Amino acid sequence: MDPAMTAPEIAIAGSGGESSQRLDATPIAIAGSGEVTALGLGRERLEQAVAANASGLRDCPRLAGKGWQSTVGGFVPDEVWRSLRERDPAHAGAPAFLLADAALREALEDLSSSGRNAAPRLVSGGLPSAATADLGNSLFDTVPPSRRGLVLSTTKADITALEGDFHHRPVSDMARRHLYPALLAADLGAAHDIAGPVQCVSIACVSGLIAIQQGALLIQEDKADLVFVVGVDLFSDFVLSGFTVLRSLDPGGCRPFDAERKGLSLGEGAGAVALARRERLAFPALTVTGWGSSNDANHLTGPSRDGSGLALAMNRALKKAGVAPRGIDLVHAHGTGTSYNDAMEGMALRAVFGKTVPPYCSSKGLFGHTLGAAGLLETIVCLTAARQQRLPGTPRLLCPDPSVPDSLLREPRPAESLRHILKLNAGFGGVNAALVLEWEGG
Amino acid sequence: MNPFAVLAASFIGGEGFGNDRTRLRPWPETVAGALQRGELEALSWSTLFRSETSRFGRMDLLSRLGLMAVELLDAGFETLEPARRDAVGVCVETCSGCTATDAQFLQTPLAGIFAYTLPSTVLGEICIRHRFRGPILCLLPVSGQGGSLEAAMGWLNRGEADACVCVACDLMDKKFAASALSPHDAPGGGWQSCAVLIGRRTGASREHPWRPDSLPRLARSLVIGGGHRPPLQARSLVAFTDGKQLPCKQRIA
Repeated sequence: MDPAMTAPEIAIAGSGGESSQRLDATPIAIAGSGEVTALGLGRERLEQAVAANASGLRDCPRLAGKGWQSTVGGFVPDEVWRSLRERDPAHAGAPAFLLADAALREALEDLSSSGRNAAPRLVSGGLPSAATADLGNSLFDTVPPSRRGLVLSTTKADITALEGDFHHRPVSDMARRHLYPALLAADLGAAHDIAGPVQCVSIACVSGLIAIQQGALLIQEDKADLVFVVGVDLFSDFVLSGFTVLRSLDPGGCRPFDAERKGLSLGEGAGAVALARRERLAFPALTVTGWGSSNDANHLTGPSRDGSGLALAMNRALKKAGVAPRGIDLVHAHGTGTSYNDAMEGMALRAVFGKTVPPYCSSKGLFGHTLGAAGLLETIVCLTAARQQRLPGTPRLLCPDPSVPDSLLREPRPAESLRHILKLNAGFGGVNAALVLEWEGG
Repeated sequence: MNPFAVLAASFIGGEGFGNDRTRLRPWPETVAGALQRGELEALSWSTLFRSETSRFGRMDLLSRLGLMAVELLDAGFETLEPARRDAVGVCVETCSGCTATDAQFLQTPLAGIFAYTLPSTVLGEICIRHRFRGPILCLLPVSGQGGSLEAAMGWLNRGEADACVCVACDLMDKKFAASALSPHDAPGGGWQSCAVLIGRRTGASREHPWRPDSLPRLARSLVIGGGHRPPLQARSLVAFTDGKQLPCKQRIA
């Protein structure tokens, strides 16, 4: 016998493997959500803007004359910044924390009000019992801190601190600490009595969708019962400078999927969702049923030209959800407004759906490209659409690119039935991610 | 029984470099002094490998370290058919992230530097070189460096990947090293990079007391212990490559 054939592999022993990865197939649902964007703070502002197909992008005079390719962006309004600083003076100098914390607080409030306002829902064929369903207002309190988890999604966290140091501007110690996203995650968890697993995901513009996937897994693997997934990124000279040197910005503001599109618009903000087992919720909810990711293995800053990487992620998500392409009622696209991205997405949609591409839209014209927060905020747009059973439009779209599938949603409209939504994001490093979301209405 | 096995491991640090077959080797004298002083620019691709890569020179140091660790696995990825590369997942974890490159971009705002101001760019470079298109994840550890191992086992467990490359690479700066929450567990801090290839166990296994709580510790232990891996064409990677014999190429200089 060849001695090499009997040489050992190196097995991973102990806490790993199947023993620690008890996978519970229970669906994971969004129990609450919160957001702060260029549109303002809270769900009402977002719902109004989505319904009106309005844009929160605006020109920022402060940026004029500095050589940036664009001074248009999705800026959190000054009055919101003021109110956040007044509410939490201890973190007034830590802007990434302030935004993330604001979204998380909104999600907690939503978690509570969802429970208060919810009509009883049938669970497993009968009325929800105390054992199987918690009202939202008690869910946070009924879950011990050690069973609460947090996943932070960000690309640059408090990058403004590095800028401040570089330009010899005053920088708080807290902001400097939050240059390291993991420390921002730790501080956010500590501030909200989250003593269970805390993770930090940073994988370009797909961070948000991957973070939601990680949050769902924490519950399915029985490491937590309630997980907050928070995405945050700031508008910074650093990132603006980067996209300026890449010549990727539209000076007039982004127009996703438009024939005349010239680039993206940056945005800032934070989005948060609270995830819990679907069976614990006694109200209609959006369930995360499938996810998939992939890499283009092609280019660092540009998408693959044929969309095959994104199609791979979409097919993986659909397979995991057990949903056929024809079962998708809405695709919420990445839709940045760059020439290459939107063309690539069009090809990916055709690769997966063939000639019958479902209605699709982009929200980048709503609040800009919020990078690490994009996946969260756009999933919350999907949640809004599902609650209202209305397909969102594509703000700032004027003349659809004839080369992309013609099912592009220009304006919002009522949906006949909005049950399955496919959410997409793609980013630098050739990364792609997709989520399948299912609305279980009341 | 745990169905997963480490198929290959590599480590690069101030003390040397190697994989689970070669054991840890000291740096050549030509670069040892510079590396001990933390001058990582001295670490060229040709220091370790005879193969070519046109992209190495344009990469930031974090990406260079990550790419080298994966190459050092010497796992025969070049023989994989495209469909199998779609089933290789890549998970990167980094405590320091790309803060050094961020600072460089502030000094010199060039597109070629901006591309590396994400901690996940190293993942993109690894996928480009090896044409991996499987599931992806980049974690910035909050309280320990085992997240990528857990994620990889999850992918394998759920059938989302056939094999996974887990990479931990770090360039620590003084600010982060001084942080109370620093999870960095490298001996002496500083810089290091490591990788493991994880796949499904194929039968001829025995348990080792390695726990998935720290990727750097696991990789370093396997490399320092050394001698775990038989010649490439006879080992468990065969299962991962549909039984095809892999060429035994000694690419490590």
